[in-house]
Amino acid sequence: MTVKELRETVKSLLTEGKVDLVIGWGKGTMPGTSTPVFIDTAEKADSLIFDSTCRNNLSVYFTKDRRALAKDDKKIGVLVKGCDSRSLVLNITEKQIDREKVTIIGVPCNGVVDMKKVVGKVDGKEILEFTDDSKKVTVKGREFELTFPLDEVISDSCLTCVRRDAVEYDLFIGEAREPGSDENAYAEVEEFEKLDSEERWERMKQEYSACIRCYACRNVCPSCYCNVCFVDQNDPQWIGKSPEITDTMIFHIIRNLHVAGRCVECGACERACPMDIKLLLLNRKVAKEVRDRFGSITGTGLENKPAMADFKEDENQDFIMG
Amino acid sequence: MSNTYIPIQMKVERIEIEDPDKALRTFDLVFVNEEDKKNFEYMPGQFCEWSLLGLGESPFGIASSPTETDFLRFTVSRTGSVTNEIHYLREGDTIGIRGPMGNWYPVEKFKGGNVVIIGGGFAFTTLRSLIVYMLEHRKDYGDITVIYGARAPELFIYKDEISEWQKRDDIDIQLTIDNPAEGWDGRTGFVPTVTKEIAPSTENTWVVVCGPPIMIKFTLPVLSELKFADDRIYTSLERRMKCGIGKCGRCNIGSKYICIDGPVFSLAELKKIPEAF
Amino acid sequence: MIRIEKERIDEFIRALMETWSVYAPARDGKNTLFAPVEDPAGIDHGIFNTDKSPKEIFFPHSEVLFEFEGGEIKKVERDARPIAVWGLRGCDARSLRLLDKVFGSAWQKPDNDMFEDPYWKEKYDDSIIFGTACNEPRSTCFCNWFGAGPHDGAGMDVKVVDTGEAFILDPVSEKGKKYIGSLKGWAEATKKDVTKMKAAAKEADKAMGEVFGMDGIQEKMADLFLKPVWNDIGAKCVNCGACAFICSTCHCFDVQDEGKKGKKGKRIRIWDTCMFPIFTMEASGHNPRDMSKDRLRQRFMHKFSYFINNYDEHLCTGCGRCVIVCPVNLDIREVVREVMACEA
Repeated sequence: MTVKELRETVKSLLTEGKVDLVIGWGKGTMPGTSTPVFIDTAEKADSLIFDSTCRNNLSVYFTKDRRALAKDDKKIGVLVKGCDSRSLVLNITEKQIDREKVTIIGVPCNGVVDMKKVVGKVDGKEILEFTDDSKKVTVKGREFELTFPLDEVISDSCLTCVRRDAVEYDLFIGEAREPGSDENAYAEVEEFEKLDSEERWERMKQEYSACIRCYACRNVCPSCYCNVCFVDQNDPQWIGKSPEITDTMIFHIIRNLHVAGRCVECGACERACPMDIKLLLLNRKVAKEVRDRFGSITGTGLENKPAMADFKEDENQDFIMG
Repeated sequence: MSNTYIPIQMKVERIEIEDPDKALRTFDLVFVNEEDKKNFEYMPGQFCEWSLLGLGESPFGIASSPTETDFLRFTVSRTGSVTNEIHYLREGDTIGIRGPMGNWYPVEKFKGGNVVIIGGGFAFTTLRSLIVYMLEHRKDYGDITVIYGARAPELFIYKDEISEWQKRDDIDIQLTIDNPAEGWDGRTGFVPTVTKEIAPSTENTWVVVCGPPIMIKFTLPVLSELKFADDRIYTSLERRMKCGIGKCGRCNIGSKYICIDGPVFSLAELKKIPEAF
Repeated sequence: MIRIEKERIDEFIRALMETWSVYAPARDGKNTLFAPVEDPAGIDHGIFNTDKSPKEIFFPHSEVLFEFEGGEIKKVERDARPIAVWGLRGCDARSLRLLDKVFGSAWQKPDNDMFEDPYWKEKYDDSIIFGTACNEPRSTCFCNWFGAGPHDGAGMDVKVVDTGEAFILDPVSEKGKKYIGSLKGWAEATKKDVTKMKAAAKEADKAMGEVFGMDGIQEKMADLFLKPVWNDIGAKCVNCGACAFICSTCHCFDVQDEGKKGKKGKRIRIWDTCMFPIFTMEASGHNPRDMSKDRLRQRFMHKFSYFINNYDEHLCTGCGRCVIVCPVNLDIREVVREVMACEA
């Protein structure tokens, strides 16, 4: 895929009237960043990019108070990586998005860069220039230049990803690859499971103690679209609002359970967190449970209901009986 | 340094249920400490934060007039968890209040002029304060006309007092209900329509409008139609509030904070603020 | 002006700790913040700008207003020692000064202390600020948009300049002069130090990006209030509170009671933000700022229009924290540029 192909494809979709708007990524204001862009004219399509800086899961723009976008008569196109397409599939199966009204445009993903890992490579120095291709990243700063393999700095969620390309699409720019095997996708979860319950609790407490309750994790998550989130219930108040560890843990754990069987493990939450909390670990633990117990992998097929909204007679019910 | 966040103690002296659904209750509060009573100076249109320890705070307009020195009166509609608890209060209970907060109806400016007071529903509280205040200083003001609307006859608040006012010849009370009802021989129709029918003269006249947002929204154009100037029309706004001293940041309309720059604004002021409506 | 050789800085801080409760940049897990100093060796003098802003020293994320038991109210006594802050950058020092306009003064009713915030004043009024001049501003810094610069001393009591081998302490305010004057056993800064300081200031100025002219932004913003430009600017905002909570000047808060009615509990105030829908949601369910773009607009109007009307300054000092943390790269500098470029 080239950026030129991407732009041309979007231009022709717009000029042929197949879509009214395309949600994609444009260049960000800092090295190594991108920003969501809303393209409604062919000229604007020249601002589109796709590379390892395109971290946002754009499916989020179909939910919350932006869900009007998807319910208008507008025909909307959206660029998706593999994980983003799974969010769309989830939202379609949950009847949040009308499949007919959205044009899904797949782009080939090689993982998105975690800038904190990049900064770690240069001992915290400021990065002033960032370039990448499908295999490597080059960064420059005051008095340094360094090139390293892309795989060393991609997000944790990308390291274990076996569905890098869209699972559902109308158009794919380039050649979509087949999914890999989920067999060994949860190595870090298995490590976590080896800890005893007290150690696991301590580990989570340590992570979540940095939380500032900004809800960036929730707000960038396409699966988190309740009209009024339980933390916002204030009459009466459901949970405390202060950054006190008990309330903070309640927020994260309930959110975690509420996206059980609905989380596509895209890692958007973790990348959005200003405090760098490893949010995905618990989500992946739950995703692994859902896979093992119900044989379900979220957002992989329009015909599959989310695991928690589905019931099969032959499925494992020992959690009820036992 | 005083600490505005600490409530002063009040005792519930009297409770009156205002409507058949018992959703509106009037509370007369008296100061527990003489010192607080001395320091508490207010004017019609100001409000207080009611402070219930363990539950939180809610702002209410003061319905008593500063000329009634023995108590503070409030009427509270049951809408959320704090107001629900307020309805459980009994005579003799102690609660906290913070205030008085905000500005007031410009009663000094009104002196020598006629005043038209337009109210709706249970938002009549600070209007009562204003009426009682002006009646107490009756010679300072010209004609006083009150247009007060409610959905049904039983939903007017301060019914006994209103009947007393109706007997006086120095105040014109015009009551209206939304739809005709048995036993009601007064006016029917919404407040904006009735205002248009009554068509008070604009000459040397000030207008105060206070009621549900929808009533205010439709009454203001009627007043403009009747040729009242924007700087002669006053209204009182509501927003979600917390601190009451212009710091917590939630009750602003444009650069103005309802809790300190308001709640009373002239239409002329509001027209400069796009967020006000 | 006195000079402190770097190897003696711990000695200086320790002396400070005798009378002051000292806060300084430190690392807490993965993040950096201003923390109470227990051991001067734990101070990270090299941190550029802490991840969390220092506003929490004087305006904590969650602060007890008072405790109660039954109907009795009890104010919580805080550590009586005054606060000293070490290592605050110029942008943050100016942020505190802006917050002092809100909490410290009775600007609305100058003769009425009802409008002063006792919880802020008891901490900030007696504090002393040792600010660190920025020798290496970053690409996200834009303090120069607000008439300041990386070596600006505004809002500081003492400006500290790192010359490589020493910290030069340059008193700015009366309080700073008094403190530095009271010290014994430290050498005066040399001519060479002063030359180095000037050179560092010049280098730092050079590293700053171009100044963007913001004249008339408050009127411009007001004129654009109802214009579609806010739909464009607001489209990508996901309405989280990352920008506001990391911001050194955002100061909106909520007041809540914890504990049970009639029993033991406390009334606290907690950071809140106009980005959250419940911030303005009324009991009736009506929300005057219902849409995402209404809330985003409020945040920028507050910073660049309302605050100027009320306090004659921008509510932003160009620290760049929000630029770094915004999950959708909604860059405050771009918002300003877009607004200024827009025809009213």
